Amino acid sequence: MPHLSSPPSVLAARQRRERLTRRGLFFLTVFPPLLVVVMAAVLLGRAWPILGQNSLWALMSGRVWKPVAGQFGFLPFLSGTLWVTLAALVLAVPPSLLTAIYLAEYARPPTRAFMKPVLDLLAAIPSVVYGVWGVIAIVPWVQHTLAPFCRRAFGFLPLFRSENPTGFSIMAGAIVLAVMVAPFIIAVTYEVFRAVPEGMRQASLAVGATRWQTIRHVVLPKTLAGVLAGIVLGLSRALGETMAVLMVVGNVVQVPRSLFDAAYPLPALIANNYGEMMSIPLYDAALMTAALILLVIVLMFNVAATLVLRRMKARSQ
Amino acid sequence: MKKHWHWRHLEETLARGLMLLSFAVVAVSLALILGTVMARGLPSLDWAMLTQSPKGGYYLGKEGGILNAILGSLYLAGGGTLLAFLFSLPLSLYLQTYVRRSSWGHFVRLGLDVLWGIPSIVYGAFGFMVMLAIGLRASLLGGVLVLALLEMPIMTRAMDEVLQMMPEELEQASLALGATRFETALRVVSRQMLPGILTAVLLAFGRGIGDAASVLFTAGYTDRLPTSLLRPAASLPLAVFFQLGTPYPEVQQRAYAAALILTVLVLIISLGSRWLAGRLGQFVVK
Amino acid sequence: MKSQYVGLALIALVVVLASACGQATPAIRPEDDLQGVISISGAFALYPMMQRWAEEFHKVHPGVEFDISAGGAGKGMTDALSGAVDIGMVSREVSDEEEAQGAYWVPVVIDAVFPTVSNKNPVLDDLLAKGISQDTFIKIFITGEVKTWGQVVGRPEITDEIHPFTRADACGAADVWAKYLGGKKQEDLLGIAVSGDPGLVDAVAKDPLGLGYNNLNYAYDAESGRPVAGVVVVPIDRNGNGVAEADELLETKSEAQEAVASGRYPSPPARPLNLVTKGKPQGLVQVFLEWILTDGQQFVGEAGYIPLSSEQLAEALRKVR
Repeated sequence: MPHLSSPPSVLAARQRRERLTRRGLFFLTVFPPLLVVVMAAVLLGRAWPILGQNSLWALMSGRVWKPVAGQFGFLPFLSGTLWVTLAALVLAVPPSLLTAIYLAEYARPPTRAFMKPVLDLLAAIPSVVYGVWGVIAIVPWVQHTLAPFCRRAFGFLPLFRSENPTGFSIMAGAIVLAVMVAPFIIAVTYEVFRAVPEGMRQASLAVGATRWQTIRHVVLPKTLAGVLAGIVLGLSRALGETMAVLMVVGNVVQVPRSLFDAAYPLPALIANNYGEMMSIPLYDAALMTAALILLVIVLMFNVAATLVLRRMKARSQ
Repeated sequence: MKKHWHWRHLEETLARGLMLLSFAVVAVSLALILGTVMARGLPSLDWAMLTQSPKGGYYLGKEGGILNAILGSLYLAGGGTLLAFLFSLPLSLYLQTYVRRSSWGHFVRLGLDVLWGIPSIVYGAFGFMVMLAIGLRASLLGGVLVLALLEMPIMTRAMDEVLQMMPEELEQASLALGATRFETALRVVSRQMLPGILTAVLLAFGRGIGDAASVLFTAGYTDRLPTSLLRPAASLPLAVFFQLGTPYPEVQQRAYAAALILTVLVLIISLGSRWLAGRLGQFVVK
Repeated sequence: MKSQYVGLALIALVVVLASACGQATPAIRPEDDLQGVISISGAFALYPMMQRWAEEFHKVHPGVEFDISAGGAGKGMTDALSGAVDIGMVSREVSDEEEAQGAYWVPVVIDAVFPTVSNKNPVLDDLLAKGISQDTFIKIFITGEVKTWGQVVGRPEITDEIHPFTRADACGAADVWAKYLGGKKQEDLLGIAVSGDPGLVDAVAKDPLGLGYNNLNYAYDAESGRPVAGVVVVPIDRNGNGVAEADELLETKSEAQEAVASGRYPSPPARPLNLVTKGKPQGLVQVFLEWILTDGQQFVGEAGYIPLSSEQLAEALRKVR
């Protein structure tokens, strides 16, 4: 620790070092946004042969994907990404939140101590392993158990009815993604809940509320912003996941109409075909367009989330 | 007057039930995944797998092991994590110290979040293009650089979140004693939050060592042990991927063993550093 | 304290970098008794064969080492054209655009794709007796007109659907199967797309109504020579007479290899697998390729592929020399 009283020369030196460090480190902060811009620029450059020729609307709404024939409709992939990611979030968020609340509010210390490494481990399992597990365990289960059940119980809704006979489906992808994303959401929201001062809880309990009521009416509103941040985190991870989803989602180029349809998310498109890029010149541009679209989606989503979060923080102040 | 069966209590019981259910689902999922991988992988796992590199014909079912991939993954992820750390720690300290709430800080954080969300295949593609442009072939160095890029946003953001929970009193005490802001950051904040920083590093490491898409195009693959930065290096995710792709069932079974090794590796490093964090926790002021 | 660790880490990094940089060996040194490293990447279809060749070549020339990576035919082409590897394994034809970019290719073995169904298929006996004609395949995989197994074997009372499977990853197998079905491309194939050859076999084995296609090595078990458990290779009714002749029924791997080698099996879906270099191969790479086309051919059969005919070999050797 610095001395309580330093001679003026030493003080000046320390202050100079401080200024230099600050200025030097500033350049580090430029790097992340710069990287985003550089990546976007490179992708745009490689995607230009297609983007320059076709209108963005035509590309986004086109349903036919036949690159060799020169047709580049991205709609199946856009909707595939949307379906899988949303389904994964719907599956992941409620249990994750509940688990986090349980761990933060109810669980005894031994349970908590046990769960933390468990969650770390789940978060650290490589995506290839999730993919392998998905193919071995989830796809057959969806095919033989879940899909028939949903067809019988909820078949009147087109959401649950599908012609797809195999388990390779959005549902399988969503389940695998949900398990991958849950640990992140749990970990973040857990920390958020723990950060709420004990005093508020005590006050609420003192006036006779049950623990759950305390959570619902006192703790949750305070932590809403953090909870949302956790969900956004999970969503980012879900959007970015490639390998595991690719192995179980069916990779059929179609606009899905049911949870049990097969789909073809954008990252899978890139991963499956990236090697082909040099042979068919426009194919390369198409894949780069897909990557660019992904980047833009992630960007828009994060901007929106930041704005929402900021407004929430402002309101709670 | 006291009602015996108030709806609030019902709500409470219901909530508890749901929570326990969720908790059980999460714990069971982990058990299922590990269990499946172990069930398939353990039978093929033997000492040779861990200690030998593939002899000729390994992919046709003959002897050898995947030491090349084990070492390769450790070097790749280790190098990438180290590089990312050298960048992330100063960056997150800077974010925490100087631009905590300013709009530039928010902008940088936005950039990091976006980088986090970009699929690893895009990093792989981008890395491949850059490597081609500078004339670098698929190599250990290429893989390390791309993994560093991939891990940097995760590490920085996680550290950032951790550092934000720094107790203000400690910081203010240090400043009150006459330390400059950066000195405070370097000596007080980082020491206090060391366990959290370690968690952030681990998170990034786990992502890096498990990723196949980014190393496929940048690190290449080889059957030899990694000895040079400019030669391709094998990695465990790719070992799993390639072994799954051969027509020989014994080799496919070995893929599961490789996946098991990868998981166990991550487990060991994760638990090991938790222990380390516990030891380093002696520097933390409670 | 912190800065000391950082400093140590930096020093360690520099040391590692410095030591590692010195060990990169040049790729070609033809004057010595063959030394160097050859890097190869590409199709899964060629991966086991290339591993075998590398092993045998290394025995003859211990100074030569190999870095072999799979990743798909497309990756092999990309890597070869961009100079990222010395040789690309490409399990399909080389297109004109690729040649224009400098792709110089030689065929090295023949492989073939075989249609597969589950051994629990409801009309299996009919299928084995009648076979499926090319025209029917087109109607299943391309146009989608034929939707039930009953339509395939001419028994309209059977209404079980056909579940066609295809490959998700860009690969030579799908490419050549599509080519067989009327000169189409992989993107024209209908069906649920699964990753990888083993994945396709698996999907068909698990689905009694499944119909897929696989490379020779993946359709037949390496040890027993019979089709992989749960899967049956469907005879292709070549003359379209509604009867599967004895020689159209391929129950073992050697029968299949023989059918392809003799030309009885249509080509496509039999096709030569190619090795691609950027420009004419030089130095060590050229020596290796020559070896593959001469001494290397003896290992082709046991590795589960079909050797080139002598004319094809001669032509290939001419290209290499």
